[in-house]
Amino acid sequence: MYDVFFQKFNEKISLTEQEENFIRQYLTPKKLRKRQYLLQEGDICKSIALLEKGSMRSYLVDPAGQEHITAFALEGWTIGDLSSFHSELPSTQNIDALEDCELVLISKSAHDELLRTMPKYETYFRLLITDAYLALQKRTLSMISLSLDDRYKAFMESYPNIAQRVPQHMIASYMGLSPETLSRIRSRINTSK
Amino acid sequence: MLVLLCIKIDKKMNTKQTIAIIGATGNMGSGISKKLSNGNFRLLLFANQLSKLQTLEAEILEANPSADIEVTACPTEASWEADIIILAVAYPVQQQIAQKIKEVANQKIVISIANPLNDTYDGLVTAPDSSAAEELQKLLPNSKVIKAFNTVFAADFAQPVIADKQADAFIAGDDQGALQTVSELVVTAGFNPIIAGALKVSRTLESMSLLLIQLNIKNNYNWLAGWKILHQ
Repeated sequence: MYDVFFQKFNEKISLTEQEENFIRQYLTPKKLRKRQYLLQEGDICKSIALLEKGSMRSYLVDPAGQEHITAFALEGWTIGDLSSFHSELPSTQNIDALEDCELVLISKSAHDELLRTMPKYETYFRLLITDAYLALQKRTLSMISLSLDDRYKAFMESYPNIAQRVPQHMIASYMGLSPETLSRIRSRINTSK
Repeated sequence: MLVLLCIKIDKKMNTKQTIAIIGATGNMGSGISKKLSNGNFRLLLFANQLSKLQTLEAEILEANPSADIEVTACPTEASWEADIIILAVAYPVQQQIAQKIKEVANQKIVISIANPLNDTYDGLVTAPDSSAAEELQKLLPNSKVIKAFNTVFAADFAQPVIADKQADAFIAGDDQGALQTVSELVVTAGFNPIIAGALKVSRTLESMSLLLIQLNIKNNYNWLAGWKILHQ
């Protein structure tokens, strides 16, 4: 139920059995079926989720009704709207399950309590945020500096598992492209191989 | 002293919450299931008898074809999937179920509706310094146990307005966020929610229910009765 959560935690900072038991008190196990929402726009993001199993995405809908995927998450990844989670203000994003999921949720109150009482949790979370920041920076730099073909190649190299499990139109949305444009890029790359 | 607090219900959530109702086919469980099926909830219904569950499911869908409900075969699986768990069962069963759901109910809201009546309905089986809700909290130390729906009768769900007055439904618990969430469920069920205080106030709420049951038997209210706080 918490295997992946603690595996990922221990990759960042090693926990004793007692420390794992302490943290376990604050975790919420949750299952989500495919297409169910963890968060819908307008609600406050009350928990962040680590995926034990399954895949999810976060997306926002622009005023014209167009969906824009902001993130994907697979097993071992964490997903949530950090801005809403920290500010406790309504989220502009939606998070839903792309497959049946098993999640480990950490609520805001549990998160605050763990930050207050457990330095190792604070370290873990700092490293998690650092990783998320670096990934965001990489994505921003890629959008600014790379050609469309190179951006797609970089995405495929960085996230081969997502490409295997997520439909192409969602990858196009994540990259800020139309499905047709992505299709042309893929044809070009395949032809040049 | 019983502290009564008026509560303000916040804007309803867009994100659908999943509620596991354990004991869904009992008098109370079916009343709760039918009413909550009208809210923005996904209901996972569990009871021992599958045929009764299927009948309940058909009744709910007939009244509300868009109800998001599902019959489930395992209380542990249902509770794992749920955000909120309602134990709509008698006190001894409540304690048995608690053992089965302990791990998957971690950090979740678990609602105790049980009144721990003795066999002759003239007393409670819990110690004077405890309650069914507090005994549940001992078994689920990491869950947010809330007392609710114990002061209303099953028939009140079909008719929450009695003698032109909307019945009050008292709530007790130690987690403020959970009390707020359960207040919203009480509103969906048709009652006026009153947060009575901390979980230990469940002792008073369970005694209030005992008194109402005794008065019902004595005065023949036909099990359609409830509490109402009158105030300015």
